[in-house]
Amino acid sequence: MSEAVDSVSVDEGRGGGPRTMISLQQVSKTYPKAEAPAVRELTMDVPEGDIVMLIGPSGCGKTTTLKMMNRLIEPTGGRIVLDGDDVTDVNADELRRRIGYVIQQVGLFPHLTIAANIAVVPKMLGWDRNRTAKRVDELLHLVGMEPGQYRDRYPRQLSGGQAQRVGVARGLAADPPLMLMDEPFGAIDPITRERLQDEFAGLQQQVRKTICFVTHDLTEAVKLGDKIAVFGPGGTLEQYDTPDEVLTRPANEFVAEFVGSGAAVRRLSLLELARLELDEVVISTGGAPAGNHPVVALDDAGRPERWLSVPGTDQPPPLVTVPLTGTVYDAVDVMLDAGVPLVAVVDGDGESRGALRWQTLIGDLRAKRRRP
Amino acid sequence: MTFLDYLSQEWVELVILGRISFLIVLYAVLAATAVSVLVGIALYTNRFTPESWSRTARKGSQDTLLVASALALTVPSLALFGLLQKWVGLGATITIAALVIYGIYPILRNVVAGLNAVDPAVLEAAKGVGMGAVRRMIRVQLPLAWPVILSGLRVATLILIAIHVVGGAFGTPGYPDLLVDGLAGYGTPGGLYAVVSAVIGCVVIALVFELVFLLVKRLTTPRGIRV
Repeated sequence: MSEAVDSVSVDEGRGGGPRTMISLQQVSKTYPKAEAPAVRELTMDVPEGDIVMLIGPSGCGKTTTLKMMNRLIEPTGGRIVLDGDDVTDVNADELRRRIGYVIQQVGLFPHLTIAANIAVVPKMLGWDRNRTAKRVDELLHLVGMEPGQYRDRYPRQLSGGQAQRVGVARGLAADPPLMLMDEPFGAIDPITRERLQDEFAGLQQQVRKTICFVTHDLTEAVKLGDKIAVFGPGGTLEQYDTPDEVLTRPANEFVAEFVGSGAAVRRLSLLELARLELDEVVISTGGAPAGNHPVVALDDAGRPERWLSVPGTDQPPPLVTVPLTGTVYDAVDVMLDAGVPLVAVVDGDGESRGALRWQTLIGDLRAKRRRP
Repeated sequence: MTFLDYLSQEWVELVILGRISFLIVLYAVLAATAVSVLVGIALYTNRFTPESWSRTARKGSQDTLLVASALALTVPSLALFGLLQKWVGLGATITIAALVIYGIYPILRNVVAGLNAVDPAVLEAAKGVGMGAVRRMIRVQLPLAWPVILSGLRVATLILIAIHVVGGAFGTPGYPDLLVDGLAGYGTPGGLYAVVSAVIGCVVIALVFELVFLLVKRLTTPRGIRV
């Protein structure tokens, strides 16, 4: 335990003072004939490079807010500032070409090939053929689709998951600094959705876009968001903070109720195993059990094979593993599934990096200080 | 003289007449299409009603205007030709004018239906990537509505082929003229053969149009939405 220990906190910011990519200043929207505004004097700054998840019950104005950012819905009051420019009154079509847009129903153009779908914005911006074609291939690679295989296909030949990958690629095509995503994975089956979320998180590691993302799924918000904006009825912003803060310190009654009773469990998916002080594991050298630590036997490749002894048990439980890249949530899932009180954590090569024990989980879970 | 003798003697003449009839219908269909697409787009986009009206009222007025344009089809053709005669005179012109009026409704209806059938998600995406209204219409909405518009064109063409022979009573050349001549001399074998030839000629024209439409459909339907 040589490393300094701090409390389990997830977001330490990105260092330095990040610039604001898009800023809503006192923005309101009152629909014609509606008595109450759908969004009321909303002020919110989205820092560059962050994913901000807009969440709230239906009718809370989260989608309205998103659509005001690219003026698909015109605000009835307030200013919108994109990257330092006041864009409240500029030409909306030109504004939208500077902002990526991805929607739940994908909305690929069925009469255009995948390549032509992705190339829509570059074409409007007057890119030449070569540059556009190169960009299309690059993006298809980025979203994990082989360009040679998919470039000339049509949208109807794609599965829902593939279509949304292309939708994301289309949104990224002209390399916009800001992406707006309106429940992009909402209509996709749960298994594919989870894969797309993981891919999306990986993609964001590479492209580092500023992203505003509407969702109604708190798990998704916690999983993907750098910040969460919780909207309340009447289009008010109830809390705007990191997922960890929203879950552990709800700003008010409404947020507490919205976050609900599952908050403690949801927080588990925020904790990456790589960032925890794991329990030490002794690798068996054929000798006697070593004090208070579990002892593991390795196979020929140096990977954990079975437990030889686990303190507190007479009969060592079957050995299950979880990758270091997973979260505490994954570890708990594996433990519950196998009915065992501990799980071995392995790295990419399958070698042991420690263990997570049930007692530690409910007792004294410690995070390492984040490495620079 | 048998009918076959008549055909072998007159076939060159029949083909020439057929070409005239074909062109009359073609011009009428093209003109009706141009009018219908323009009116259809206008009807689809602003429904000729103020934006402050409720959605239901605007949809209702769209339907009402469509029904109104259908009324043109119910005007008896002889009456319509008679009325038109005052303004456009006789000959091929009067038939083309009448056919345009009859052709508008079936095409217009399909233009509006085709545009209405475009997936709203596709439209939102088009707006979201920064396509303006004109670009959206030309690049997205019309191409997607095109198969529906085309089937309206086919129906309209068949109707117009059937109606165009009425022009015979107003000096329209082609099969209309042949038919009227034939009816005048109905007692004679030549008269009967002329009538039968005109009828067969119309069927042949319809078949030719079907072939043309097949080709046009093949060539103009984007591959991604071909069924």
